[in-house]
Amino acid sequence: MIGVDEARLAARAGQGDSDAFASLIELHQAMARRVAYAILEDQEDADDAAQDGFLSAWRAIARYDPGKAFRPWLMQIVVNAARDLRRRRRVRTAEPLDSVSPPGKDDPAREAGDIDLGERLRAALATLPERQRLAVVLFDAEGYPQAEIAAMLGIPEGTVKSDVFHGRRALRKVLRTVKEEWHE
Amino acid sequence: MNDHSPFDETRDVELGAALQEALALPFGAAFVNRVRARLNGQRQRRWEDELAGWFWQGLVAASLVTMLAGWGLNRFGAAEEIDQSTGSSSVASQLLEGSAPGTNVLFASMTAAEAQ
Repeated sequence: MIGVDEARLAARAGQGDSDAFASLIELHQAMARRVAYAILEDQEDADDAAQDGFLSAWRAIARYDPGKAFRPWLMQIVVNAARDLRRRRRVRTAEPLDSVSPPGKDDPAREAGDIDLGERLRAALATLPERQRLAVVLFDAEGYPQAEIAAMLGIPEGTVKSDVFHGRRALRKVLRTVKEEWHE
Repeated sequence: MNDHSPFDETRDVELGAALQEALALPFGAAFVNRVRARLNGQRQRRWEDELAGWFWQGLVAASLVTMLAGWGLNRFGAAEEIDQSTGSSSVASQLLEGSAPGTNVLFASMTAAEAQ
């Protein structure tokens, strides 16, 4: 679906076809909301930012170069929208990783083998600086090449490499701990 | 799974999948509908803004047309009034209409004046 169809849809959207743009929203909403969530750490704020990003992209679609990939262009707009919203709003601060204690031995969730990996990963993400968080999410979760992430965030590629490395360390630690708990 | 090196450019698929799941937000369809509604609202507003942008130009153009029409009506009305006040049509309008006095009458009156 992503590829030729996306390029065609983007070209049609560039000519003012709002239905084509709506199809692009459907294609990319999940990713845009995940990236916005990684920045804002709040679901409602993430949806607001993703929406702002899509609306900004629609207003700027005439300036989009169809010769370039649409996804990074859009994602850069979404990242900017989320950062703008973060500046405008006082974002709820998440609990630091250390304060999120693993479930105790008598925890019913643990007994059921239902340890919430997602919650603990989100908590771990919240302890990372925003740039590291974005770098890991864009690289490992969304699959962007490091060079593209560097262009998107306006930082050198070496910084992205370093951010991915440090961000991964914290997150892999959580992943390892949870897996060990599962095996116990 | 290890920490690899800082120069590792390979995606960590396991961590990536876990992150995708951890960051996934619910109600995707509702979100799409919400953005589409805002998009339609924005398009409509853009059209209204476009019309509003032409308001003053339209007003000036309409005023000019009205003034020209008024001036034209006034001018032709005044000409008719002059005709009515003299009780006969002007020489020019008589010549245009091809009605009396004919050229032969004018010529006769001129030669008669010379003879006297």
